This record gives sequence, C-alpha cells and structure tokens, in this order.
Amino acid sequence: MAVQIPEDRLKIARLSRISIVDVLLWALRIGVLGVVIAGTIGTLINGRYGWTQWVDFVVFGLTLGSIYAQIALGYTMVYGVLRLINFAHGDFMMSGAFSAFFVANAFYRSGFLESHPVPALLCILITSMIVSTAVALLAERFAYRPFRRVVGLAPLICAIGVSFFLQQTFRGMFGSSIRAYPDPSWQRATISFLGIEVQAVELLVIGLAVLFMIGLYLIVQYTKMGKAMRAVAEDGDAAALMGIDVDKVVVFTFMLGGAMAGIAGVFYCFVYKQVYFYMGFTPGIKAFGAAVLGGIGSIPGAVLGGFFLGLVESVGPALFLDGLGIPGPYQLRDVIAFTLLIMVLIFRPNGILGERLGKKRA
Amino acid sequence: MRPKKLRSWGYSTAAGIVAGVFCMTLAQPFAHAASPVEDPMGVIRIPKGAPVQIGAYWVISGPDTALGEDSVRGAKIAIADLGDKVLGHPVKLNVEDDQCTPEGGQTAATKLAANPNTVIVLGPACSSAATAGAPILWNAGISSIGTASTAPSLTAADRKPELAGFLRTIYSDAQSGANDGKWLYKEAGAKTIVTINDGSPYSSELARVTGESFIKEGGKVLSAEAIQPTDVDLKPLLTHIATLKPDKIYAPLFVAATAQLLRQVKETPGLENVEVIGEGAQAAGALIEATGQAIVGFKLAYPDVSPDAMGKGYPGFLEKYKKMFGEAPISGYHANAYDAAVLAVKAIEQVAKQGDDGALYIGKKALHDALFTISFEGMGGTVKCNQYGQCAQLKSAIYQYVSADPATFSIGTNPKKIWP
Repeated sequence: MAVQIPEDRLKIARLSRISIVDVLLWALRIGVLGVVIAGTIGTLINGRYGWTQWVDFVVFGLTLGSIYAQIALGYTMVYGVLRLINFAHGDFMMSGAFSAFFVANAFYRSGFLESHPVPALLCILITSMIVSTAVALLAERFAYRPFRRVVGLAPLICAIGVSFFLQQTFRGMFGSSIRAYPDPSWQRATISFLGIEVQAVELLVIGLAVLFMIGLYLIVQYTKMGKAMRAVAEDGDAAALMGIDVDKVVVFTFMLGGAMAGIAGVFYCFVYKQVYFYMGFTPGIKAFGAAVLGGIGSIPGAVLGGFFLGLVESVGPALFLDGLGIPGPYQLRDVIAFTLLIMVLIFRPNGILGERLGKKRA
Repeated sequence: MRPKKLRSWGYSTAAGIVAGVFCMTLAQPFAHAASPVEDPMGVIRIPKGAPVQIGAYWVISGPDTALGEDSVRGAKIAIADLGDKVLGHPVKLNVEDDQCTPEGGQTAATKLAANPNTVIVLGPACSSAATAGAPILWNAGISSIGTASTAPSLTAADRKPELAGFLRTIYSDAQSGANDGKWLYKEAGAKTIVTINDGSPYSSELARVTGESFIKEGGKVLSAEAIQPTDVDLKPLLTHIATLKPDKIYAPLFVAATAQLLRQVKETPGLENVEVIGEGAQAAGALIEATGQAIVGFKLAYPDVSPDAMGKGYPGFLEKYKKMFGEAPISGYHANAYDAAVLAVKAIEQVAKQGDDGALYIGKKALHDALFTISFEGMGGTVKCNQYGQCAQLKSAIYQYVSADPATFSIGTNPKKIWP
C-alpha cells in the first residue's frame, strides 16, 4: 500500500534540497534576462537605430558568424572523432590564409584579381585549403597521433603547443607585421535593396560559407567515409571491430577540418583585410566557444553556435546595452557573447544540439 | 674504479663545488666593503674593464615593432656617439621585448631588475608597459627613462609613489591631448567629435584629455567609445557612430586597430566623408603596410620633427641614422630615445666613483637624484626634468598620409606635415 505523504511536507522536502548555488544560479539567470529585456526595451524606445541599421547589424553578425561556424566545424569534427580539443585549429586557418595571401597579392599586382575575379578566387581558395589541410595532416601525424591513446591533459597541452609552434613558425618566416590584404574593386561593391546598402563581399562570404557547410554536411551524412566518421565518433573501438580503418577516418576528419579552416581563412581576409601570424588565435577561441555552444561533436550545432555568437557580438551591444545608457558598449561585446553562452550552457549543459548525440549514444 | 668509490668521489666533488660557491658568495660583501660610495638604495659595483650595463625595454615584436625598434636605434646612436664607452668602461645595452602590453612590461622589467648589474633602464615606448614595468624597476632601486610612453598619469603631480623612479624624455599626453582638442575645434573646424580608445593607458588617457580640451574650446563630444586592441570587426561600432553624425572621429589607437578602423570607416554608410584623426603611435611604416590604400588622407597629430622645431643636432643625427641602419627613421621616437640614453650616461658620469680596486661604484639613489639636476640641449629639444620626471616638452604638428606605399614612409613627407 502506498504511503500518502502530506503535500506541505513534500514542499518542505523539495525546498530543503535547494542549495545556495541553485539560488545564485537562478538569480544570475533572472538578472541577465532582466538586463536583456530592459536594455532591449530601452533601445527600442530610444529609437536611435532605424531598420536599415538593424539589417546592417544582422548582416555583419551573419558574416562574422559564418566565419566562426566554418572554424567551429573543424573543432567539432575532431572532438567528435578523437575527443580532442584541437586548440591549433585557428592556426590551421592562419596557415592557409597567410599562404593564400601571397597568391592574392601576386594576382592583385598583376591585375588578374581585378580582371578575373572568379578564377583568381578559386586559386586563392584552393591554395589556402591545400596549405591548411597539409598543416592539419602534419599536425595529426606527428603531434596528435602519438597521443591517440593517452588519457588526461597531455593531448590538450600538445594541441596548445602545436598552436604556438605554428604561430612562431609563421612569425619567423614572414615577420610579425600586419599585412594589408588586397582589396580589388569588386570586393568594395555594394548591393542596394529597399534602401539598404550591403557590401557584396559580405553576401558572398555568407553565401559561399553556407554552400560549403551544406557540402560538408552532405559528405558526413551520405558518403561512405562520412558514415565511417560517424561510426568512429559513436564508438571508435566498435567501429574498428567492424572493419573501419580508424587511422584513415581520423586523417579524413583532419583533412575536412583543415579544408574548412582554409576556406574560413580566405573569407576572414576578404572581410577584415589583414594577415598576421596571430590572426588565428582570437577567431579560434571564439569558434571553440561556438562549437561548445552548439554542442561540441554536433556539426549542425557548430554552425548554429557560430551564427549565434556572430549575431550576438554584432547586435548585442546595440540592442542590450545602448538602451541602458552604458558608455562604450562595444568593448563589452565579448562579455555579452560569452555571458549568453554561459546562460545557454546553464540551461543546456550539452549545448543547443548536443543532447541529440547523447541520446543516440544511449 | 668500483661503483662505491666512484660514488664517494662524486659526493666529495659536489660538496667541494657547493663549498666553493658558498665561499664566493660570502666574499662578495667584503668586496663591497671597500666601496667609496654609500647609498641608502644600494651600490652597483662595476669591476675594472667590465661593461656598464644599461637595461632597456621596448616593443620589438608584433604590429608595433617599429615604435620600439626606432627607439633601440636612437639609443644605439647615442651610445655610438659616446664612443661606446662611459668613464672608460664599455657600454652594454640589454634590450628586452615588452610587446607593448602590461604583461610584457612586467616580464621585461622583472628580467632587467633581476640583473644586479643593471645601472639604469631606458624605455619603454608604450605606457601600458611602463605602468606595469616602472614600479618593478623602482622597487629594485632602478630608475627608468621612458622614450615614447606618453600617458599623463606617469608623470602627473599626483602620480603613484611606485612611479617615483620613472622619468621620460617624451612629452606628456596632458599636453598633446590639450593641443589636439584645440586643433580639432579651431583649425579643423569640428564642432562635434566621437572619441575611440582601445583601453590602454595611452589611448584612453589621451582620448579623455583631448575630449576635455575639445569641450573646453566649445565643442561637444557625442560619445566616448572603446574597443579592444585586437578587435577586427568595427562595423557595428561604426554603424552606431554614424547615427550620431559627428564632424570628426578622434582615435588614438595602435597599428592593428587603426588599420581596421581606416578601412571600415569608409565602408560605413554615413561615415564615408568623416575624417579620422589619430595620434603619435600611428606614425609608423607598419601602419601603411597594414592599412593599404585606405591610409591615404589619414591625419594625425605628432611632434613637429622639422629641423627648426627639433634640437640643433637633429639633421646630423638623421644622417647618422640613415648611415647606421640603411634607411630613414621607421617611427618618430628615435630622438627621444637618444636623449634618454644621453641623460642616463650624463647622470652616471656625474655620480660614479672609482674605487681603489679600479672598479666603478654607482649609488642608486644618487643616480636617481642626479637625473633631475641635469639639463642639456637634446635631439628632441631641451631636456630638463621637473620633480615628477617630465623632461621634455611638445611642439605639436599635424601630418597627413599621402601615399600607400610603405617604402615612402618618412615623417615629414609621408605622413606630410600640413600644420602649422
């Protein structure tokens, strides 16, 4: 016979289980939510920005987000297959972008970049992809593979070491100065639509990034190697017992990640027009945040996380802080982005799409 | 030899070495006992024939390398002019890289302070490095002379006691900011401005002082914005600034952020024709390389380096610079570094005493006090320190970049002096 517990005693029991940390976390959630709502209302009442400006903010955010998303894909794929956080991934991007810079510069000087944008763009992209992929494969073979079966922090430290090694190698080879990326006239062209002027290069970057990401998704979902990748991500040992060559899959994963990093590097340079040895670090860290936000190990999650982070960085200061009258809100863009990232992770510790993977495994 | 015997022989040798090192350590104070100098902050002994070690910390890596490298060259010319010797001792310049960051300044200063033979330190070029590094040096009794670190707080009347060991042969931004504000209002005709700083002491203090001066003249600062020095995407900020419709944007930033700003401001609707005005750290060949075509037309305030405004010896100094390094100055603080080195050497000459053993003895406090008593006609003008360590004054000018070719960089021609 079931024992009936009085309702008031149940309530007391529930309340006694609430710790001070729970209370603080709820206070934090309510506080952040309050700031977001109050700031948004304040900004909208203030009416400083017209809809053309909001569209601009969104386009900037999507552009930045598409670059983050492409870098985040490399993080998430490697994590999915190897459970390794590859901190050198941002530097794979830098390697490709730096190498492609020399090609772009040569094309620009000869006038080829101006007169034949499509073949020039293809050559630049291919150079960047080849170099990023080659660097990624070399890192995998010589730095990460010896740590494949090592448990603990050693692989992570090794990844940080590879990151420093690449940065300093490029610094040693090409110097530490910042170089301006070629700026052909077709990249400065604008497209007008309903009174809004958008830079063509931003739309190009967003469009091509989405296209490449769809291509990657199709490879992972529908090719034999993609299926093998997913099998290794689920259970490497079981996949090996089923006859899958895990080494080959890992190499393929690094190849895909490297190629995406190479593309991201070129797009980054198209938009921000600079190359230097340290350029991979900050976008790399942001993209890692995006991968975690989306649910590390999940490809759609990385894309979603990248766009989310880009949009929050771009729209956040104007939308949330302007209305509160906070001076110099743009220096707080990273604070806003990462506070929201933490908030999402408090509600969904596995990231936005991370749970699906967990459920599948279960 | 049997292993046991070998081991005991090893132990004996190790004990002997330890005892030897111990005895040598003990012997040190006896050497100092013969010092002809007494000083409450300690005495540096330079053995006969040993070099006088002058420390230095400047930014010699990263995008602002030119700023520090130019100072290194200025100091080297000064030492060469002295025949590489002070009081018969060779001079050794120990240069550390401060990376133009507080962390870098801290590390470089700690390294220099850890060397017991560091007599005095030149640099840094960045205020952020000075803010972190100068207190560490002064804690070790070492005076330092900044060469391009211009933040007002470093030599302000109410500066922190830990900065008491810091002097500089460069102007203070309290002066340049006041000039910039006046110029913006009176000469450039701006009635409203937006300031952008990168959070570093140099940038934020300069933006603040200029803003105050501009308001004093009758102008209005619509907004004081801040970015991170590593920010690449400034378009949201610029879209926000465009809604304010300023006459000018005043942005005393470093190379990386300036390059992004100059490119992106021209791509922002509403800001296509709004001029960006910069300051001293933006007078660098590296900025042309980083910015490309968008640099053309960029105006900045900078000390007047024309031969009329500089010290009498400056034209000759420029010739030496070109001869020694095969190119024109790569930034604009070489003369200040030259003056800092001369000031340091003059102070050493004033207080150093020769002992009976032929060694040179330098009291740290005496050296520090001597720095405040010296005055001379330097390469950048008259050098004479006030009680807060401010040893140079500013003759301001406005320059404008006229070419996007990095090879044309030369202060006075590209950027070209346009005012006065």
